[in-house]
Amino acid sequence: MENTSYDIRQLNDKIHQASSFVDLLNMEINKVIVGQKYMVERLMIGLLAQGHVLLEGVPGLAKTLSIKSLSSAINARFSRIQFTPDLLPADVVGTMIYNQQRNEFMVRKGPIFANFILADEINRAPAKVQSALLEAMQEKQVTIGDTTFKLEEPFLVLATQNPIEQEGTYTLPEAQVDRFMLKVVIGYPTKEEERHIIRQNLQPDGQTKINPVVNPQDILDARKLVRQVYMDEKIEQYIIDVVFATRNPEDYKLAKLKPLIAYGGSPRASINLALASKAYAFMKRRGYVIPEDVRSVCFDVMRHRVGLTYEAEAENVTSENILSEILNAVEVP
Amino acid sequence: MKGIRNIFVYTLLAGLFIAGRAQAQDQQGTEQYNDYFKVTARPDTTSIRIGEPVKISITTRVVIRSLKGANIKVVFPNLPDSINHIEVVERTPLDTTGSTEDEKYWKQVLTVTSFDSGRWELPPMKFEVFSVSDGSYDSVFTDPIFIDVNTVPVDTTKAFKPIKPLRTVAWNILDYWPYLLALLLVITAVTLYFAYWRKKPKAKPAPLKPLKTPFEVAMEQLHQLENEKPWNTDVKLYYTQLTDVLRHYFEQQFHIAALEQTTAELLQNIKPVTVLNQQREKIQHILTLADLAKFAKLQPAPHEHEDCLQKAIAVVEWTKRAVTAQTEQLPEGTNQ
Repeated sequence: MENTSYDIRQLNDKIHQASSFVDLLNMEINKVIVGQKYMVERLMIGLLAQGHVLLEGVPGLAKTLSIKSLSSAINARFSRIQFTPDLLPADVVGTMIYNQQRNEFMVRKGPIFANFILADEINRAPAKVQSALLEAMQEKQVTIGDTTFKLEEPFLVLATQNPIEQEGTYTLPEAQVDRFMLKVVIGYPTKEEERHIIRQNLQPDGQTKINPVVNPQDILDARKLVRQVYMDEKIEQYIIDVVFATRNPEDYKLAKLKPLIAYGGSPRASINLALASKAYAFMKRRGYVIPEDVRSVCFDVMRHRVGLTYEAEAENVTSENILSEILNAVEVP
Repeated sequence: MKGIRNIFVYTLLAGLFIAGRAQAQDQQGTEQYNDYFKVTARPDTTSIRIGEPVKISITTRVVIRSLKGANIKVVFPNLPDSINHIEVVERTPLDTTGSTEDEKYWKQVLTVTSFDSGRWELPPMKFEVFSVSDGSYDSVFTDPIFIDVNTVPVDTTKAFKPIKPLRTVAWNILDYWPYLLALLLVITAVTLYFAYWRKKPKAKPAPLKPLKTPFEVAMEQLHQLENEKPWNTDVKLYYTQLTDVLRHYFEQQFHIAALEQTTAELLQNIKPVTVLNQQREKIQHILTLADLAKFAKLQPAPHEHEDCLQKAIAVVEWTKRAVTAQTEQLPEGTNQ
C-alpha cells in the first residue's frame, strides 16, 4: 500500500505515540475501578476534549472514586463539593475574609480551585450556586471581590445527579445542562464485576494505591493534538445531519418524531459532537475521525440536548429512543 | 140575559186571547235581546277529591247580525289565582275557531282545583261587551258554580302503614325499540359483510419481478466503474461510489440497512447472511480501505483500486446463486 497522504500519516504516527498514555491511565485507574470502563472512557473524552461531564446514576457506582483515581493518576488536585440546599456561591468559588492581624481583607479560595471537581448531587443546590459553578466552568475563571483568578488547567468538572430522588431538588435548566459536553448515564456492574468489587474492597491490606503516571502537562499537550485530528468534510456533514435531524426530523423521513421533540440540538451540540469524536478517535490512537467515532459519542453528547415534549414523556419515549431512530435513519458517509 | 152572558164570556175569552198574545209577543222579544250576547260556564264535574282538577269551559257568543254590523269588543272576567278556596291552575288562550260571519265566538278553558274540603262557590263571572261603533255597553253574568271538594276517608282506628315501595313497570319489549333497531341493523350489516363482501377475496397484487434485479444493477454499476476508471481523477469519489454500490446491493438484496451502518456495524450484521459472511474478508478489506480513503486522505496504490473493484465484483458474483434462487420464485412482471 502506497500512502501519498504524508501529513495524515505523520499525524497518525504522532497521535499513535502521544496517545499511549491513555492505556497507562486506563491500567492505573482499573486497579481500583472495576466494571465502569464506559464511565472512565467518557471521563477521558471530557478531559481530552475540554468538556465537562454530567453523570447520572444511583449512589454507590464509584463516581467519586473514578474521578479521584483519575486525578491521582494525573497527579492533579481534586476537590469534592457536596451540593446541599443551604450551599452558597461563596462556598464554591471562595470569599473575602477579614484578617485582624494584618487589618485587611484576604481572599479565601473555594474548592473550585482544583484540576478535578466533583460536584456531587448538583441538583440539590439552588440555582444561584449552580449558576456560579457553571459560569466558572464556562469562563474558566472566578472573580472574588475585585480580583479575577484564572482556573488552573486541566480543569474538569464532573457533576452528578441522582435520577431516583426528585423531591427537594432544583432541576438544572436546559441552558445550564447544555454546558456539559457529555451526559453519561451509568448502570450497575455485572455479576462478575460485582464479585471483583467485593473482593477488592475486602482485601486485608486495604485499597490499592493509585500512582501518578501522567503529568497535567501531558494532558494539555494531548488536548492540542486532539484538535488536530483530521475530520473529513463527509464526517462533518454526517454530524450536521444528525444534529439537524433532531431539529427537523421530517427532513430525514422521520416525521413521526416531530411531535415528540420539543427542541433539537444547538450549534454547541454540533461543536461538542465533533470535538468528542476527535477525542474518541485520539483515544483509539487514530489521527482521523470515522463514522464509528461519531456514533460512539453521539448518545452522551446529544441525550441532554434533545428536549422531549409532554407527549413523548406520556408515551415513555426517551431521548435515547429518538437518537436511536435518528442514527438508524441518517445515512452514514 | 143569556145573550149578555154570552157577550161577557166571548169578551173575556177575546181579552184573555189578546192578553196572551201580547204577553207571548213580549216574552219572545226579551229572549232575542238576551240571545245576541250569551255566556256559559260549564264545569266537567262539580264533585272532586281534594286537589283534583276541574275543567270549566267558558264560552261567549255575540250575534253580530242583531247589532247590525256594529264593531264590538268583549271583555272576559279577570279571575284572581285564588278565589274562595278555589285555585286557578291554568288558563287556556282564547279560542275563536267557532266564529262565523253572523256571530262571534270565544272559548276559554279554566282548570281549577281546591285543597280545602267543603262546598265552595265559584261566584258569577261578569262578561262585558262594548260597541266600538256607537259606544253602547252591556254585561252578562254567568251562573255561580258550586264545587264539592271531598277528602279521602281515613280510618284512624288503624295503625300507620309504611310508604309503598316503587312499583315496577312490567317489562315491555317495545320500550327498547331504538336499541333493538340498532342491533338489528348491526346484525344485518355483519351478515351482509360475511355473506357478500367476505366471499369476494381481494385480488392480491402479485409480487412483481423488477425489470432489473439488484444483482444486475450492482454488476452494471461495477462494470461501469471498471470502464470509467474514476480513480484516475478522484480517488475519494471512486471509493465512495464503490462502497455505495455495495451498500445499496446489500440493502436491496439482503435487506440489511447498510446505508445507515458504519463499517464495523455492517461487518457485524452480515454474519447471519451466510453468502455474505463467506466473503467477509473481502468485504472488510474493501470497506476498511474505502474508509481510509474517504476519511483519512489515504491514497492507495493504483493496483489497489483495481484490486478492490475486482473483490467487489467477486463478492457480488458469489452471491449470484442465492439471488437467482430467490428471483426464480417471483412471477414475471414489471418493475418493483
